[in-house]
Amino acid sequence: MDTVTGQKWLIGIFSVLLIVVLIIVAGVEMRKTRLERPEIEISGTTEECIGCHVKKGVAVKLIDEWKWSEHAEKGIGCYECHEAEEGEFDAMKCPESNILIAKHPTPGDCRECHERQVKEFANSKHVLSQAFMALKGSDRNVFEPPVTTKHGCEQCHHIGNYWPDKSIGECDACHSKHRFDIAQARHSETCGECHIGPDHPHIEIFLESKHGNFYSTFADEYDWDYKPGEPVPFGAPTCATCHMSATGTYKQFTHNVSDRLTWESQAPFSVRTQEYWGGISWQEKRERMEGVCYQCHSQSFVDRYLLTADLANLQYNEIWETTIDWMKKLREHKVFKTDVFEFGGKAITSWPMVGYDEELEHIAYRNWHHEGRRFRHGAEMMGADYTQWHGIWELQENLTKIIQVGAEHGVPEAKRWLVAKDPDKFMKLYPLYDIPGGSWGPSAMAMRGNMVLDRIPNYWETVRSNVKTAYDNGLLTEKQWELYSDLYENREIETGRQYELPELHDELMENLTIDLKQLYEQQKVDLILMK
Amino acid sequence: MKLKDWILERFPINYERFVEINEKVFIKEPIPLHYKKWFFATGAAPLILIALQIVTGILLMFYYIASPEAAYESVRYISQEVRFGFWIRGIHRWGSNLLVIALLLHMTRVFFTRAYRRPRELNWIIGVILLGLSFGLSLTGYSLIQNQVSYWATTVGTNSVNAIPLIGKPLLQFLRGGEEVTANTLTRFFTFHVTLLPPLLLLFMFVHIFILRLHGMAELEGKEGEGSYAFYPEHFFKVIILTLFFVATLSTLAVILPPGLGEPADPSTTPAVIKPEWYFYPVYIALKLMPMHIGMSVLMILGVILVFWPFIDEFVKRRAPKLRLNYIVGTIAILTFLTVTIWEIIV
Repeated sequence: MDTVTGQKWLIGIFSVLLIVVLIIVAGVEMRKTRLERPEIEISGTTEECIGCHVKKGVAVKLIDEWKWSEHAEKGIGCYECHEAEEGEFDAMKCPESNILIAKHPTPGDCRECHERQVKEFANSKHVLSQAFMALKGSDRNVFEPPVTTKHGCEQCHHIGNYWPDKSIGECDACHSKHRFDIAQARHSETCGECHIGPDHPHIEIFLESKHGNFYSTFADEYDWDYKPGEPVPFGAPTCATCHMSATGTYKQFTHNVSDRLTWESQAPFSVRTQEYWGGISWQEKRERMEGVCYQCHSQSFVDRYLLTADLANLQYNEIWETTIDWMKKLREHKVFKTDVFEFGGKAITSWPMVGYDEELEHIAYRNWHHEGRRFRHGAEMMGADYTQWHGIWELQENLTKIIQVGAEHGVPEAKRWLVAKDPDKFMKLYPLYDIPGGSWGPSAMAMRGNMVLDRIPNYWETVRSNVKTAYDNGLLTEKQWELYSDLYENREIETGRQYELPELHDELMENLTIDLKQLYEQQKVDLILMK
Repeated sequence: MKLKDWILERFPINYERFVEINEKVFIKEPIPLHYKKWFFATGAAPLILIALQIVTGILLMFYYIASPEAAYESVRYISQEVRFGFWIRGIHRWGSNLLVIALLLHMTRVFFTRAYRRPRELNWIIGVILLGLSFGLSLTGYSLIQNQVSYWATTVGTNSVNAIPLIGKPLLQFLRGGEEVTANTLTRFFTFHVTLLPPLLLLFMFVHIFILRLHGMAELEGKEGEGSYAFYPEHFFKVIILTLFFVATLSTLAVILPPGLGEPADPSTTPAVIKPEWYFYPVYIALKLMPMHIGMSVLMILGVILVFWPFIDEFVKRRAPKLRLNYIVGTIAILTFLTVTIWEIIV
C-alpha cells in the first residue's frame, strides 16, 4: 500500500467513524433533552436498596414515587434518609443485606437538611395535635374504645407525633413519602385529609367559598411548583397560600401554619393567640394575614371582613358562655343523672364539663366542638353555609334544646323563657355584637324590615358598647376600633336605609303577591302566616 | 433568447467575458482525481448546512421571544403548536450538530492530507476561525431555549471565561451583560446568535472559498499531477449527493428524534449535573479534571497550536522529513475526542 492509498484509508475510516459515532452520540444526547426529568444519580448503597427491592418486588411503587421527587433529582436516595446507627430506636438490619437502616425517618432526620422548616413546624399548632388527643377527659379517653380511634383520630393527630428520638411531627403528613412533593402540600385536598368533617370542615368551607370556586375551576392552570418565597402565581388561594406562603408584604413562607392565626377558635372559647407560638403577637399575625388578603382584595373590604369575622368570634363566645350557664342551671336543678366521672377517687374533667352519657352533654359538647367551630371557621373563611345553617342555626337550635329540656324538668327560668312571646327572646339570651353594614357593599334592602335593630331599643348604642368592651379588653386592634367608630358614625349610610328602593321592587312584590295568592288557593295555606 | 437580451440590456455586462470567467472559476475548475472519493469532498457540506441554519433560523425567529419570561414558552409554542414548528426547530438543532460533524470531517481530510501546507496556511487559519464561529453560534443558540440545562450550561460556560488570563473578567461581564446571568445575557446571546456571528461566518466563508478558488483545489502530497476532472458535472453532483445525505439524515433525525424542551430555567435551583452540548465534552472534561485557570490556559495553548498548526507542522517536517506528525496528532486527536465524548455519555 503506497502512502497515498494509506492516507485515503485513514481519512475514509476516520470519516465513517466520525459520522457514525457522532450521530449516535448526538442522538443519545438529543434523546436526553426529551426526558421530562434529568437522569438520577445515586449513591452505591441506594443503588443496592433499589436493585434488591425491585428484584423482590417490595415497595417498588414507593421507589417509583421517589424517582419523581426532587430528592431523586438531587441524588438524595434511600440511604440518605434511612441511614441508622446502632442503638437508634428504629435501627434495623435489612434482612437481605448487612445494612443498618432506620425504619422511621423522623423530623429529626429531615432536620439535617430542612432545619428551618422543622423549626417552624415546631412553633405551629400541628405540633400539639397528639398532646391534645391525650387529654384526660377527651372523648377518645372516655367515650370511644381504643381500637376504634387508631384509624380515626390517631391517624390525623399523628402529624404531631412524639418520636422516641425526641423530635415531634410528621413531615410526610403533607409531603407524602416518597415523592415529598411541594405541589401536593399546596393542594387543599392534602389539608382536607384531616381538616374535614363535622368538627372542622375546613376543606368543605374552602370549597364552598369563592376561593374554592376559583380553585375548582382553574387549579389545573396553576403553576404548583413555584419556588417557596416567591409570590404565589395563582388567581385565588389554597390553604397553604394564606397560611404558609410568602405574601406581597411579608415575604417569608413558613411551615408554622399558626403564623397568621389571630384566634384560637378551635377551643371552647375563642381566645387571641399567644406570643409563645412563634414569638409574635396576635396583632402581628393579623398584619401578616392582611398581607395575604391585600394581594387580591381592597383594604376596605379586608378590614370590614376581618372585623366582622372577629365580632362573630366574640358573639360565639357569648353563646358558648350562655350554653355553659344554662348547663349549670340545669345541673343545679338535678337535670343530669351523673356529674363528673371519677377514677381512683379523683374527678376526670371531661369536655365541656360533665360527661358523655346524656344527650344534653352531647349537645353541649357539639356546641363548641362541632357547631361552634363550624360557625367560627365559616365566618373566618367565607363559608356562608357553614356560618349559617351548619353554624349559627345549629348553635341556636342546641341552646334552645337545652333550655327546653330545662323547662321540662321544671327549671323556672327555662319555663319562663319558653313561654315568652317576645320575638327578641333569642337575642336577649346573651350580649350582642354587630357592625353597621357589611363587607359586600351597600344594600338598600338587606337591613330593612322589622328587624332586631328596630325592635331592640338603643340597639346600635348597646352593640357598640359591647364592641368597645372587647376593644378595651385588647381583643380588637386600634385600627379596627377606628374603623368600627367610623361605621358607627355613618350607620345610617352603612345600613343602606337612606337609599330608596328601586322601582323594580314594586313590580317584584306584585308578582310575589300573585304567587302567594295562588299558593293559598291551591294549597289552602293560611295567608296570614305568609304576611 | 429574448429574456437574456432583456436582462443584458438592463445589466450591460460583457456576457462573453462573464461566461468565460464562470467556466474558468466554476464549471471547468480542475478537480484533482482523488476528490472522487466522497470523504475528500466534505467541504461543501458545512456550506449547505449553514444555508439551512439560516433559513430555519429565520423561521424560528418568527415566533421566538428573547426574554427570560417568554423564551421557554415561545420555544414550547414553536415545538408543540406551530405547524411544522417541531420540524423546523428539529432541523435547526440537528443542523448545528451535523454542522459540527461535517466540519470535523472536512478538517480531518485537510489535516491528514496536509492540504493546509504552503501556500494555503492562511486558509487553514480562516477555517479555524470558522470553526470557532460555529461553536460560538452553537453555544449562543443553545442558551436561547432557557431551560434548566441550557441556562446552567450558559452560566457555567460563561463562568469558565473568567479563567482566561487578563481579559477573563471583562470578557465575562461583556458576555453576561453584568456579573450574573440575567435578562441581559439572554438579549446579548440572542443578538450574537442572529446579528453578529452569522454575518461574520458568511464573511469568513466567502474569504475561505475565495482563497480556495485562487489556489485551486489542493493536490495530494506526493501525487502531484495525478490528473483532474471538471467541477461540473461530476464533482458538483458528488457534493450534491453528500449534501443530500446530510439533509436527508437531518430531516429524518429531526422527525424521529426531535429535540425536547426540558424543564424551564430556574436560576435558584442548581441542577445536580450541568453539561454542555456533546461537542464541548472534551473542553468540559479538561476543565473538570484540571483547576480552572490551568485548564483554561492549557486549552488556550491548544487553541494557539491549532491556529498555527500549518507553520508548526512545516517547522517539524523540515527537521524530520520522515515523521508524519499530522498522522500522529490527527489520530490521537480524533481518538481522544471520540473516547472522551463516549466516556462522558456512558459514565
